[in-house]
Amino acid sequence: MRPDQPHRSARPSADGGPVQGAPAGPPRGGQQGPPPQQPQPQQPRQPPQQGSPPQPTPPQQPAPPQQPAPPRPQGPQNRIIDTSSGRDDGLDKCPTCGGTDITYSLTAKALVCAYCRHEWNEVNAEEAFGLNTSIADLHGHTLASGTADVREDLTMMTLKCQGCGAEVVINVNQELQARCHWCRQTLSVNSQIPNGAVPDAVLPFQLTREEAIAQISAFADKRKAFAQGRFKSEFVPENVMGVYIPYLVVDGSMHAQLGGRGEVTTRQYTVRTGSGKNTRSETYYDADVYSVQRAFDLLVDDLTVESAQRFDARDNSHATNNILNAVQPYDTENAVAYNSNYLKNFTSERRDLNVRDVDDEVEEKFLSIARAKATPTIGRYDRGVRWEQEGVAVRGTRWVSVNVPVWLYSYADSAVGDGLVHYIAVNGRNGNTMGSVPVSHPKIFAVSCFAGSIAAVIGAVVGFGWFFAG
Amino acid sequence: MLPLLAELAADPVTPMLLADSGDGAVGLAFPFIAGPAVFAAVYGGIYRYYRNTDKRHHFEKETEVAVGNLQRRDQKVGSNNRQRSRTMGGDNSTDPLERVHRISVK
Repeated sequence: MRPDQPHRSARPSADGGPVQGAPAGPPRGGQQGPPPQQPQPQQPRQPPQQGSPPQPTPPQQPAPPQQPAPPRPQGPQNRIIDTSSGRDDGLDKCPTCGGTDITYSLTAKALVCAYCRHEWNEVNAEEAFGLNTSIADLHGHTLASGTADVREDLTMMTLKCQGCGAEVVINVNQELQARCHWCRQTLSVNSQIPNGAVPDAVLPFQLTREEAIAQISAFADKRKAFAQGRFKSEFVPENVMGVYIPYLVVDGSMHAQLGGRGEVTTRQYTVRTGSGKNTRSETYYDADVYSVQRAFDLLVDDLTVESAQRFDARDNSHATNNILNAVQPYDTENAVAYNSNYLKNFTSERRDLNVRDVDDEVEEKFLSIARAKATPTIGRYDRGVRWEQEGVAVRGTRWVSVNVPVWLYSYADSAVGDGLVHYIAVNGRNGNTMGSVPVSHPKIFAVSCFAGSIAAVIGAVVGFGWFFAG
Repeated sequence: MLPLLAELAADPVTPMLLADSGDGAVGLAFPFIAGPAVFAAVYGGIYRYYRNTDKRHHFEKETEVAVGNLQRRDQKVGSNNRQRSRTMGGDNSTDPLERVHRISVK
Protein backbone atom coordinates (compact mmCIF):
# COMPACT_ATOMS: atom_id res chain seq x y z
CA MET A 1 0.00 0.00 0.00
CA ARG A 2 2.72 2.37 -0.97
CA PRO A 3 2.07 5.37 -3.21
CA ASP A 4 4.52 6.27 -5.92
CA GLN A 5 4.61 9.49 -7.82
CA PRO A 6 1.38 9.60 -9.79
CA HIS A 7 1.63 9.49 -13.52
CA ARG A 8 -0.92 9.26 -16.23
CA SER A 9 -1.02 9.45 -19.95
CA ALA A 10 -4.53 10.80 -20.44
CA ARG A 11 -4.50 14.55 -19.89
CA PRO A 12 -7.59 16.39 -18.70
CA SER A 13 -8.09 18.31 -21.93
CA ALA A 14 -6.22 19.57 -24.91
CA ASP A 15 -5.51 22.97 -23.37
CA GLY A 16 -4.49 21.55 -20.08
CA GLY A 17 -7.65 22.57 -18.28
CA PRO A 18 -10.17 20.29 -16.74
CA VAL A 19 -12.95 18.82 -18.80
CA GLN A 20 -16.40 19.98 -17.81
CA GLY A 21 -19.17 17.48 -17.91
CA ALA A 22 -16.96 14.70 -19.12
CA PRO A 23 -18.77 11.49 -19.95
CA ALA A 24 -18.92 8.81 -17.34
CA GLY A 25 -15.61 7.28 -16.56
CA PRO A 26 -14.84 4.16 -14.64
CA PRO A 27 -17.49 3.55 -12.08
CA ARG A 28 -17.03 4.06 -8.42
CA GLY A 29 -14.79 2.04 -6.22
CA GLY A 30 -16.27 -1.34 -5.70
CA GLN A 31 -18.88 -0.95 -8.41
CA GLN A 32 -16.73 -1.45 -11.40
CA GLY A 33 -17.61 -4.52 -13.34
CA PRO A 34 -19.58 -7.26 -11.69
CA PRO A 35 -19.89 -6.95 -7.92
CA PRO A 36 -17.41 -9.04 -6.01
CA GLN A 37 -18.78 -12.46 -5.28
CA GLN A 38 -17.12 -15.32 -3.56
CA PRO A 39 -13.55 -14.71 -4.60
CA GLN A 40 -11.73 -17.57 -6.19
CA PRO A 41 -8.05 -17.29 -5.44
CA GLN A 42 -6.05 -17.06 -8.61
CA GLN A 43 -2.59 -16.29 -9.69
CA PRO A 44 -1.86 -12.55 -9.82
CA ARG A 45 -1.88 -11.38 -13.39
CA GLN A 46 -0.23 -8.44 -15.04
CA PRO A 47 -2.25 -5.24 -14.71
CA PRO A 48 -3.56 -3.62 -17.90
CA GLN A 49 -1.59 -1.05 -19.87
CA GLN A 50 -0.29 1.67 -17.55
CA GLY A 51 -2.15 4.96 -17.77
CA SER A 52 -5.05 3.79 -19.88
CA PRO A 53 -8.39 4.06 -18.11
CA PRO A 54 -10.24 0.79 -17.76
CA GLN A 55 -12.77 0.24 -20.52
CA PRO A 56 -15.57 -2.28 -20.63
CA THR A 57 -14.73 -5.39 -22.51
CA PRO A 58 -16.47 -5.41 -25.91
CA PRO A 59 -18.22 -8.55 -27.00
CA GLN A 60 -15.86 -10.93 -28.63
CA GLN A 61 -16.27 -11.14 -32.40
CA PRO A 62 -15.36 -14.30 -34.23
CA ALA A 63 -12.14 -13.81 -36.09
CA PRO A 64 -12.24 -14.27 -39.83
CA PRO A 65 -10.58 -17.47 -40.97
CA GLN A 66 -6.97 -17.46 -41.99
CA GLN A 67 -6.34 -14.25 -40.01
CA PRO A 68 -4.82 -13.92 -36.58
CA ALA A 69 -7.25 -12.81 -33.94
CA PRO A 70 -6.70 -9.18 -32.84
CA PRO A 71 -5.40 -8.72 -29.34
CA ARG A 72 -8.25 -8.59 -26.88
CA PRO A 73 -8.33 -5.45 -24.75
CA GLN A 74 -7.63 -5.95 -21.12
CA GLY A 75 -10.93 -5.24 -19.39
CA PRO A 76 -11.49 -4.27 -15.80
CA GLN A 77 -11.88 -7.34 -13.63
CA ASN A 78 -11.71 -7.94 -9.96
CA ARG A 79 -8.35 -9.33 -9.11
CA ILE A 80 -8.27 -11.48 -6.01
CA ILE A 81 -5.24 -11.73 -3.77
CA ASP A 82 -5.21 -14.90 -1.71
CA THR A 83 -4.38 -13.99 1.88
CA SER A 84 -5.36 -17.28 3.48
CA SER A 85 -2.86 -18.98 5.75
CA GLY A 86 -3.07 -22.30 3.93
CA ARG A 87 -3.51 -24.10 7.22
CA ASP A 88 -6.37 -26.49 7.80
CA ASP A 89 -8.94 -25.78 10.47
CA GLY A 90 -8.18 -27.49 13.73
CA LEU A 91 -4.84 -27.53 15.46
CA ASP A 92 -2.71 -24.40 15.08
CA LYS A 93 0.63 -25.49 16.43
CA CYS A 94 3.60 -23.69 17.93
CA PRO A 95 6.38 -23.79 15.32
CA THR A 96 8.86 -24.93 17.97
CA CYS A 97 7.16 -27.53 20.18
CA GLY A 98 3.83 -28.20 18.46
CA GLY A 99 1.74 -27.02 21.41
CA THR A 100 -1.61 -25.42 20.72
CA ASP A 101 -1.98 -23.34 23.87
CA ILE A 102 -0.89 -20.06 22.35
CA THR A 103 -1.88 -16.55 23.39
CA TYR A 104 -0.89 -13.04 22.44
CA SER A 105 1.23 -11.48 25.17
CA LEU A 106 0.90 -7.73 25.60
CA THR A 107 4.22 -7.54 27.42
CA ALA A 108 6.12 -9.52 24.80
CA LYS A 109 4.04 -8.01 21.97
CA ALA A 110 4.09 -11.44 20.38
CA LEU A 111 2.36 -14.79 20.29
CA VAL A 112 3.69 -16.92 23.13
CA CYS A 113 3.48 -20.69 23.47
CA ALA A 114 2.37 -21.65 26.97
CA TYR A 115 4.54 -24.79 26.90
CA CYS A 116 7.91 -23.77 25.52
CA ARG A 117 7.58 -19.95 25.88
CA HIS A 118 8.56 -19.53 22.26
CA GLU A 119 7.66 -16.04 21.01
CA TRP A 120 6.88 -15.10 17.44
CA ASN A 121 4.66 -12.94 15.28
CA GLU A 122 3.00 -13.64 11.99
CA VAL A 123 4.52 -12.08 8.87
CA ASN A 124 3.70 -8.53 7.85
CA ALA A 125 0.58 -8.82 5.71
CA GLU A 126 1.56 -6.18 3.15
CA GLU A 127 4.88 -7.84 2.42
CA ALA A 128 3.60 -11.38 2.57
CA PHE A 129 0.66 -10.87 0.22
CA GLY A 130 2.11 -8.22 -2.09
CA LEU A 131 -0.21 -5.49 -0.85
CA ASN A 132 2.58 -2.91 -0.97
CA THR A 133 2.93 -2.68 -4.72
CA SER A 134 2.64 0.75 -6.30
CA ILE A 135 -0.82 2.28 -6.01
CA ALA A 136 -0.24 4.04 -9.32
CA ASP A 137 -0.21 0.63 -10.99
CA LEU A 138 -3.66 -0.32 -9.70
CA HIS A 139 -6.30 -0.83 -12.38
CA GLY A 140 -9.76 -2.17 -11.76
CA HIS A 141 -10.40 -3.59 -8.35
CA THR A 142 -7.99 -5.69 -6.38
CA LEU A 143 -9.62 -7.51 -3.50
CA ALA A 144 -7.88 -9.44 -0.79
CA SER A 145 -9.65 -12.72 -0.25
CA GLY A 146 -10.71 -11.71 3.28
CA THR A 147 -13.05 -9.08 1.83
CA ALA A 148 -15.33 -11.69 0.28
CA ASP A 149 -19.07 -11.13 0.55
CA VAL A 150 -20.37 -12.05 3.97
CA ARG A 151 -22.62 -15.08 4.28
CA GLU A 152 -25.05 -14.54 7.12
CA ASP A 153 -26.19 -18.17 7.10
CA LEU A 154 -22.79 -19.51 8.06
CA THR A 155 -23.04 -19.76 11.82
CA MET A 156 -22.08 -23.28 12.85
CA MET A 157 -18.88 -25.05 11.91
CA THR A 158 -17.39 -28.40 12.76
CA LEU A 159 -13.71 -28.49 13.68
CA LYS A 160 -11.98 -31.82 13.47
CA CYS A 161 -9.24 -32.36 16.02
CA GLN A 162 -6.18 -33.72 14.25
CA GLY A 163 -4.90 -34.96 17.61
CA CYS A 164 -7.66 -37.39 18.62
CA GLY A 165 -10.11 -37.28 15.75
CA ALA A 166 -12.96 -35.73 17.72
CA GLU A 167 -15.30 -33.29 16.05
CA VAL A 168 -16.23 -30.09 17.85
CA VAL A 169 -19.07 -27.86 16.71
CA ILE A 170 -18.63 -24.13 17.33
CA ASN A 171 -20.69 -21.04 16.60
CA VAL A 172 -18.35 -19.04 14.38
CA ASN A 173 -20.39 -15.89 14.95
CA GLN A 174 -19.32 -16.05 18.58
CA GLU A 175 -15.87 -17.60 18.62
CA LEU A 176 -13.09 -18.81 16.38
CA GLN A 177 -11.48 -21.22 18.83
CA ALA A 178 -12.61 -24.07 21.03
CA ARG A 179 -11.02 -26.74 23.16
CA CYS A 180 -11.30 -30.32 22.11
CA HIS A 181 -13.41 -31.89 24.82
CA TRP A 182 -11.41 -35.14 24.59
CA CYS A 183 -7.76 -34.20 24.37
CA ARG A 184 -8.00 -30.58 25.57
CA GLN A 185 -6.04 -29.19 22.65
CA THR A 186 -7.03 -25.82 21.23
CA LEU A 187 -8.82 -25.97 17.89
CA SER A 188 -8.79 -22.88 15.70
CA VAL A 189 -10.55 -21.62 12.61
CA ASN A 190 -7.55 -21.08 10.35
CA SER A 191 -9.33 -20.77 7.01
CA GLN A 192 -11.07 -17.66 5.75
CA ILE A 193 -14.64 -18.65 6.38
CA PRO A 194 -16.93 -16.17 4.61
CA ASN A 195 -18.93 -14.98 7.60
CA GLY A 196 -16.90 -11.81 8.08
CA ALA A 197 -15.18 -13.04 11.24
CA VAL A 198 -11.82 -13.78 9.64
CA PRO A 199 -9.98 -10.74 8.25
CA ASP A 200 -7.03 -10.59 5.91
CA ALA A 201 -4.83 -9.12 8.60
CA VAL A 202 -4.77 -8.21 12.27
CA LEU A 203 -3.18 -5.22 13.93
CA PRO A 204 -2.16 -6.56 17.35
CA PHE A 205 -2.54 -4.58 20.55
CA GLN A 206 0.47 -2.55 21.63
CA LEU A 207 -1.02 -0.70 24.59
CA THR A 208 -1.40 -2.79 27.73
CA ARG A 209 -4.63 -3.01 29.66
CA GLU A 210 -3.11 -1.06 32.57
CA GLU A 211 -2.07 1.75 30.25
CA ALA A 212 -5.56 1.85 28.78
CA ILE A 213 -7.16 2.00 32.24
CA ALA A 214 -4.89 4.90 33.15
CA GLN A 215 -5.85 6.74 29.96
CA ILE A 216 -9.56 6.19 30.51
CA SER A 217 -9.36 7.22 34.16
CA ALA A 218 -7.51 10.41 33.29
CA PHE A 219 -10.04 11.20 30.58
CA ALA A 220 -13.03 10.69 32.89
CA ASP A 221 -11.44 12.45 35.87
CA LYS A 222 -11.25 15.66 33.85
CA ARG A 223 -14.98 15.41 33.21
CA LYS A 224 -16.43 14.60 36.60
CA ALA A 225 -17.72 18.02 37.68
CA PHE A 226 -20.74 18.03 35.37
CA ALA A 227 -21.02 14.30 34.75
CA GLN A 228 -24.21 12.47 35.51
CA GLY A 229 -24.24 11.37 39.16
CA ARG A 230 -25.08 7.80 38.26
CA PHE A 231 -22.19 7.62 35.82
CA LYS A 232 -19.77 8.82 38.50
CA SER A 233 -20.96 6.23 40.99
CA GLU A 234 -20.94 3.39 38.46
CA PHE A 235 -17.71 4.29 36.67
CA VAL A 236 -15.29 1.37 36.91
CA PRO A 237 -12.45 1.80 34.41
CA GLU A 238 -11.26 -1.75 35.13
CA ASN A 239 -14.24 -2.93 33.09
CA VAL A 240 -12.46 -1.86 29.92
CA MET A 241 -12.42 -4.51 27.22
CA GLY A 242 -10.01 -5.16 24.41
CA VAL A 243 -11.97 -5.26 21.16
CA TYR A 244 -10.91 -5.91 17.61
CA ILE A 245 -12.97 -3.79 15.25
CA PRO A 246 -13.13 -4.64 11.54
CA TYR A 247 -12.17 -2.03 9.00
CA LEU A 248 -11.83 -2.13 5.26
CA VAL A 249 -8.58 -0.50 4.23
CA VAL A 250 -8.62 1.00 0.75
CA ASP A 251 -5.88 2.16 -1.57
CA GLY A 252 -7.01 4.13 -4.58
CA SER A 253 -5.63 5.63 -7.76
CA MET A 254 -7.87 8.27 -9.27
CA HIS A 255 -8.21 11.47 -11.25
CA ALA A 256 -10.18 14.31 -9.64
CA GLN A 257 -11.74 17.44 -11.10
CA LEU A 258 -13.16 20.43 -9.27
CA GLY A 259 -14.87 23.54 -10.57
CA GLY A 260 -16.23 26.65 -8.92
CA ARG A 261 -15.95 30.40 -8.41
CA GLY A 262 -13.33 32.32 -6.50
CA GLU A 263 -13.04 35.95 -5.57
CA VAL A 264 -10.00 38.19 -5.15
CA THR A 265 -10.27 41.50 -3.32
CA THR A 266 -9.26 44.37 -5.58
CA ARG A 267 -10.19 47.28 -3.37
CA GLN A 268 -11.18 47.93 0.21
CA TYR A 269 -12.62 51.33 1.12
CA THR A 270 -14.57 53.07 3.85
CA VAL A 271 -17.67 55.17 3.21
CA ARG A 272 -18.92 57.71 5.73
CA THR A 273 -22.64 58.39 5.91
CA GLY A 274 -24.71 60.79 7.98
CA SER A 275 -23.47 63.90 9.74
CA GLY A 276 -22.59 65.07 13.18
CA LYS A 277 -23.30 62.53 15.89
CA ASN A 278 -24.96 60.22 13.39
CA THR A 279 -21.84 59.83 11.27
CA ARG A 280 -21.21 56.21 10.50
CA SER A 281 -18.48 54.55 8.55
CA GLU A 282 -18.89 51.34 6.63
CA THR A 283 -16.25 49.23 4.93
CA TYR A 284 -16.87 47.88 1.45
CA TYR A 285 -14.99 45.42 -0.73
CA ASP A 286 -14.64 45.21 -4.50
CA ALA A 287 -13.63 41.84 -5.91
CA ASP A 288 -12.82 40.16 -9.18
CA VAL A 289 -14.68 36.91 -9.79
CA TYR A 290 -12.82 33.98 -11.36
CA SER A 291 -13.86 30.66 -12.73
CA VAL A 292 -11.63 28.22 -10.83
CA GLN A 293 -10.94 24.74 -12.13
CA ARG A 294 -8.54 22.15 -10.83
CA ALA A 295 -7.70 18.68 -12.07
CA PHE A 296 -5.12 16.33 -10.57
CA ASP A 297 -4.25 12.73 -9.88
CA LEU A 298 -4.49 11.25 -6.41
CA LEU A 299 -2.92 8.17 -4.91
CA VAL A 300 -4.68 7.42 -1.64
CA ASP A 301 -2.93 5.08 0.75
CA ASP A 302 -4.72 3.14 3.48
CA LEU A 303 -8.01 4.96 3.73
CA THR A 304 -10.04 3.24 6.44
CA VAL A 305 -13.77 2.70 6.56
CA GLU A 306 -15.81 0.92 9.22
CA SER A 307 -17.10 -2.44 8.05
CA ALA A 308 -19.28 -3.36 11.03
CA GLN A 309 -22.69 -1.78 10.83
CA ARG A 310 -23.07 -1.27 14.57
CA PHE A 311 -19.93 0.88 14.61
CA ASP A 312 -20.96 3.07 11.67
CA ALA A 313 -19.55 6.47 12.59
CA ARG A 314 -22.42 8.26 10.86
CA ASP A 315 -25.01 6.70 13.15
CA ASN A 316 -24.85 7.87 16.75
CA SER A 317 -28.47 7.13 17.60
CA HIS A 318 -27.74 4.06 19.74
CA ALA A 319 -24.08 4.48 20.60
CA THR A 320 -21.47 7.21 20.34
CA ASN A 321 -19.79 5.64 17.34
CA ASN A 322 -18.05 8.86 16.39
CA ILE A 323 -15.80 8.24 19.41
CA LEU A 324 -14.45 5.04 17.86
CA ASN A 325 -13.91 6.90 14.62
CA ALA A 326 -12.07 9.71 16.39
CA VAL A 327 -9.30 7.56 17.92
CA GLN A 328 -7.87 6.84 14.46
CA PRO A 329 -5.47 6.66 12.70
CA TYR A 330 -4.10 3.13 12.86
CA ASP A 331 -0.77 2.07 11.44
CA THR A 332 -2.41 -0.52 9.21
CA GLU A 333 0.80 -0.96 7.24
CA ASN A 334 2.10 -2.92 10.25
CA ALA A 335 -0.81 -5.38 10.30
CA VAL A 336 0.19 -9.02 10.37
CA ALA A 337 -1.35 -12.03 8.68
CA TYR A 338 -4.42 -13.40 10.44
CA ASN A 339 -3.90 -15.89 13.23
CA SER A 340 -6.83 -16.65 15.49
CA ASN A 341 -4.53 -16.68 18.52
CA TYR A 342 -4.22 -12.89 18.24
CA LEU A 343 -7.94 -12.65 18.97
CA LYS A 344 -7.85 -14.97 22.00
CA ASN A 345 -8.75 -13.24 25.28
CA PHE A 346 -10.14 -10.27 23.35
CA THR A 347 -13.54 -9.79 21.85
CA SER A 348 -13.78 -9.21 18.14
CA GLU A 349 -16.55 -7.76 16.06
CA ARG A 350 -17.59 -9.53 12.90
CA ARG A 351 -17.51 -7.66 9.60
CA ASP A 352 -21.06 -7.47 8.25
CA LEU A 353 -20.60 -4.91 5.46
CA ASN A 354 -19.31 -5.85 2.03
CA VAL A 355 -17.22 -3.80 -0.35
CA ARG A 356 -20.33 -2.83 -2.30
CA ASP A 357 -22.00 -1.60 0.90
CA VAL A 358 -19.30 0.94 1.62
CA ASP A 359 -18.13 1.95 -1.85
CA ASP A 360 -20.39 5.02 -1.95
CA GLU A 361 -18.95 6.15 1.37
CA VAL A 362 -15.45 5.52 0.08
CA GLU A 363 -16.09 7.56 -3.05
CA GLU A 364 -17.36 10.44 -0.93
CA LYS A 365 -14.18 10.20 1.10
CA PHE A 366 -12.15 10.31 -2.10
CA LEU A 367 -14.02 13.48 -3.06
CA SER A 368 -13.40 15.00 0.36
CA ILE A 369 -9.70 14.21 0.05
CA ALA A 370 -9.65 15.82 -3.39
CA ARG A 371 -11.28 18.96 -2.03
CA ALA A 372 -8.82 19.10 0.86
CA LYS A 373 -5.85 18.61 -1.45
CA ALA A 374 -7.04 21.44 -3.70
CA THR A 375 -6.90 23.95 -0.84
CA PRO A 376 -3.18 24.80 -1.18
CA THR A 377 -3.76 25.68 -4.86
CA ILE A 378 -6.35 28.40 -4.20
CA GLY A 379 -4.42 30.60 -1.82
CA ARG A 380 -4.72 33.66 -4.04
CA TYR A 381 -8.49 33.79 -3.56
CA ASP A 382 -8.56 35.77 -0.33
CA ARG A 383 -12.36 36.03 -0.34
CA GLY A 384 -12.70 32.28 -0.69
CA VAL A 385 -13.76 29.74 -3.28
CA ARG A 386 -17.22 28.29 -3.74
CA TRP A 387 -16.80 24.82 -5.24
CA GLU A 388 -19.82 24.02 -7.38
CA GLN A 389 -18.76 20.88 -9.22
CA GLU A 390 -16.68 17.90 -8.26
CA GLY A 391 -15.97 14.50 -9.64
CA VAL A 392 -13.52 11.67 -9.42
CA ALA A 393 -12.65 8.90 -11.83
CA VAL A 394 -11.33 5.90 -9.97
CA ARG A 395 -8.67 4.07 -11.97
CA GLY A 396 -8.02 1.34 -9.48
CA THR A 397 -8.61 0.31 -5.90
CA ARG A 398 -7.24 -2.29 -3.52
CA TRP A 399 -9.32 -3.54 -0.59
CA VAL A 400 -8.05 -5.32 2.48
CA SER A 401 -9.96 -6.24 5.64
CA VAL A 402 -8.06 -5.52 8.84
CA ASN A 403 -9.05 -5.94 12.48
CA VAL A 404 -7.77 -3.02 14.55
CA PRO A 405 -7.36 -2.96 18.34
CA VAL A 406 -9.39 -0.72 20.65
CA TRP A 407 -9.59 -0.63 24.41
CA LEU A 408 -13.24 0.13 24.97
CA TYR A 409 -15.13 1.27 28.03
CA SER A 410 -18.86 1.43 27.48
CA TYR A 411 -21.62 2.83 29.65
CA ALA A 412 -25.33 2.54 28.85
CA ASP A 413 -27.15 5.74 29.77
CA SER A 414 -30.60 4.45 30.67
CA ALA A 415 -31.89 8.02 31.00
CA VAL A 416 -31.93 8.36 27.21
CA GLY A 417 -34.56 6.36 25.33
CA ASP A 418 -33.50 2.74 24.99
CA GLY A 419 -30.18 3.54 26.58
CA LEU A 420 -27.55 5.46 24.65
CA VAL A 421 -24.22 3.68 24.94
CA HIS A 422 -21.37 6.05 25.73
CA TYR A 423 -17.91 4.92 24.74
CA ILE A 424 -14.54 5.92 26.07
CA ALA A 425 -12.09 4.43 23.57
CA VAL A 426 -8.34 4.11 23.51
CA ASN A 427 -6.50 3.34 20.31
CA GLY A 428 -4.73 0.05 21.06
CA ARG A 429 -1.72 1.09 18.99
CA ASN A 430 -0.88 4.71 19.78
CA GLY A 431 -3.02 5.49 22.83
CA ASN A 432 -5.26 8.11 21.20
CA THR A 433 -8.12 8.55 23.64
CA MET A 434 -11.58 9.96 23.10
CA GLY A 435 -14.84 9.51 24.91
CA SER A 436 -18.35 10.56 25.65
CA VAL A 437 -19.39 11.19 29.24
CA PRO A 438 -23.11 11.54 30.05
CA VAL A 439 -23.80 15.00 31.42
CA SER A 440 -26.06 16.27 34.16
CA HIS A 441 -28.24 18.81 32.36
CA PRO A 442 -29.52 20.46 35.56
CA LYS A 443 -25.94 21.16 36.63
CA ILE A 444 -24.98 22.62 33.26
CA PHE A 445 -28.18 24.65 33.19
CA ALA A 446 -27.47 26.07 36.63
CA VAL A 447 -23.90 27.10 35.92
CA SER A 448 -24.90 28.50 32.52
CA CYS A 449 -27.64 30.59 34.15
CA PHE A 450 -25.12 31.85 36.67
CA ALA A 451 -22.63 32.79 33.96
CA GLY A 452 -25.38 34.34 31.83
CA SER A 453 -26.62 36.41 34.76
CA ILE A 454 -23.15 37.76 35.46
CA ALA A 455 -22.73 38.58 31.78
CA ALA A 456 -26.10 40.33 31.79
CA VAL A 457 -25.14 42.43 34.82
CA ILE A 458 -21.82 43.39 33.27
CA GLY A 459 -23.61 44.11 30.00
CA ALA A 460 -26.11 46.30 31.86
CA VAL A 461 -23.37 48.29 33.60
CA VAL A 462 -21.45 48.81 30.35
CA GLY A 463 -24.50 49.29 28.14
CA PHE A 464 -26.44 51.63 30.39
CA GLY A 465 -23.29 53.58 31.09
CA TRP A 466 -22.79 53.98 27.36
CA PHE A 467 -26.44 54.95 26.93
CA PHE A 468 -26.42 57.64 29.59
CA ALA A 469 -22.99 58.91 28.57
CA GLY A 470 -24.19 59.18 24.95
CA MET B 1 -35.24 36.87 29.85
CA LEU B 2 -36.50 36.48 26.29
CA PRO B 3 -40.12 37.38 27.22
CA LEU B 4 -38.76 40.47 28.92
CA LEU B 5 -36.87 41.40 25.78
CA ALA B 6 -39.97 40.82 23.64
CA GLU B 7 -42.07 42.92 25.97
CA LEU B 8 -39.50 45.68 25.85
CA ALA B 9 -39.45 45.60 22.06
CA ALA B 10 -43.24 45.71 21.90
CA ASP B 11 -43.42 48.79 24.09
CA PRO B 12 -44.09 51.82 21.82
CA VAL B 13 -41.85 53.97 23.96
CA THR B 14 -38.78 51.86 23.29
CA PRO B 15 -38.29 52.70 19.61
CA MET B 16 -38.74 56.38 20.37
CA LEU B 17 -36.20 56.15 23.16
CA LEU B 18 -33.75 54.33 20.92
CA ALA B 19 -34.31 56.69 18.01
CA ASP B 20 -33.69 59.72 20.14
CA SER B 21 -30.56 58.39 21.71
CA GLY B 22 -28.40 57.67 18.65
CA ASP B 23 -25.69 55.05 18.97
CA GLY B 24 -25.85 55.06 22.73
CA ALA B 25 -29.21 53.33 22.55
CA VAL B 26 -27.47 50.17 21.46
CA GLY B 27 -26.11 49.97 24.96
CA LEU B 28 -29.59 49.23 26.29
CA ALA B 29 -29.51 45.92 24.44
CA PHE B 30 -26.17 44.82 25.93
CA PRO B 31 -27.52 42.91 28.94
CA PHE B 32 -30.19 41.22 26.83
CA ILE B 33 -27.64 40.09 24.28
CA ALA B 34 -24.73 39.29 26.56
CA GLY B 35 -26.77 37.21 29.04
CA PRO B 36 -28.31 34.72 26.58
CA ALA B 37 -25.13 34.60 24.52
CA VAL B 38 -22.99 33.64 27.50
CA PHE B 39 -25.63 31.16 28.66
CA ALA B 40 -25.62 29.42 25.28
CA ALA B 41 -21.84 29.49 25.01
CA VAL B 42 -21.29 28.01 28.48
CA TYR B 43 -23.98 25.35 28.01
CA GLY B 44 -22.76 24.35 24.58
CA GLY B 45 -19.10 24.44 25.57
CA ILE B 46 -19.53 22.17 28.60
CA TYR B 47 -21.79 19.78 26.71
CA ARG B 48 -19.34 19.48 23.85
CA TYR B 49 -16.37 19.00 26.19
CA TYR B 50 -18.13 16.09 27.87
CA ARG B 51 -19.91 14.47 24.94
CA ASN B 52 -17.42 15.21 22.12
CA THR B 53 -20.20 14.89 19.58
CA ASP B 54 -18.16 16.88 17.06
CA LYS B 55 -15.09 14.67 17.18
CA ARG B 56 -14.18 12.51 14.22
CA HIS B 57 -11.17 11.22 12.34
CA HIS B 58 -10.02 13.91 9.91
CA PHE B 59 -9.25 11.38 7.20
CA GLU B 60 -9.03 14.04 4.50
CA LYS B 61 -5.95 15.46 6.22
CA GLU B 62 -4.46 12.44 7.95
CA THR B 63 -4.64 9.87 5.15
CA GLU B 64 -1.42 9.55 3.21
CA VAL B 65 -2.07 10.96 -0.24
CA ALA B 66 0.21 11.71 -3.19
CA VAL B 67 -0.91 14.41 -5.60
CA GLY B 68 0.41 14.84 -9.11
CA ASN B 69 -0.26 16.17 -12.60
CA LEU B 70 -1.99 19.26 -11.29
CA GLN B 71 -3.85 21.18 -13.99
CA ARG B 72 -5.27 24.56 -13.09
CA ARG B 73 -7.36 27.08 -14.94
CA ASP B 74 -8.26 30.48 -13.49
CA GLN B 75 -10.28 32.75 -15.73
CA LYS B 76 -11.74 36.10 -14.79
CA VAL B 77 -15.47 36.11 -15.46
CA GLY B 78 -16.64 39.33 -13.82
CA SER B 79 -16.51 41.49 -10.75
CA ASN B 80 -18.43 41.73 -7.55
CA ASN B 81 -18.22 45.25 -6.17
CA ARG B 82 -19.41 47.10 -3.09
CA GLN B 83 -19.68 44.02 -0.92
CA ARG B 84 -20.13 44.39 2.83
CA SER B 85 -18.64 41.03 3.70
CA ARG B 86 -14.94 40.29 3.75
CA THR B 87 -15.61 36.77 2.38
CA MET B 88 -17.60 35.67 -0.64
CA GLY B 89 -21.03 34.12 -0.26
CA GLY B 90 -21.13 30.34 -0.22
CA ASP B 91 -17.41 29.90 0.42
CA ASN B 92 -17.00 26.15 1.01
CA SER B 93 -13.28 25.82 0.42
CA THR B 94 -12.69 24.95 4.07
CA ASP B 95 -15.47 22.38 4.29
CA PRO B 96 -14.36 19.36 2.26
CA LEU B 97 -17.15 17.19 3.66
CA GLU B 98 -19.84 19.31 2.00
CA ARG B 99 -20.84 17.67 -1.25
CA VAL B 100 -21.63 19.72 -4.35
CA HIS B 101 -22.89 18.88 -7.82
CA ARG B 102 -21.26 15.69 -9.03
CA ILE B 103 -19.76 15.65 -12.51
CA SER B 104 -18.61 12.72 -14.56
CA VAL B 105 -14.88 12.49 -15.03
CA LYS B 106 -12.90 10.26 -17.32
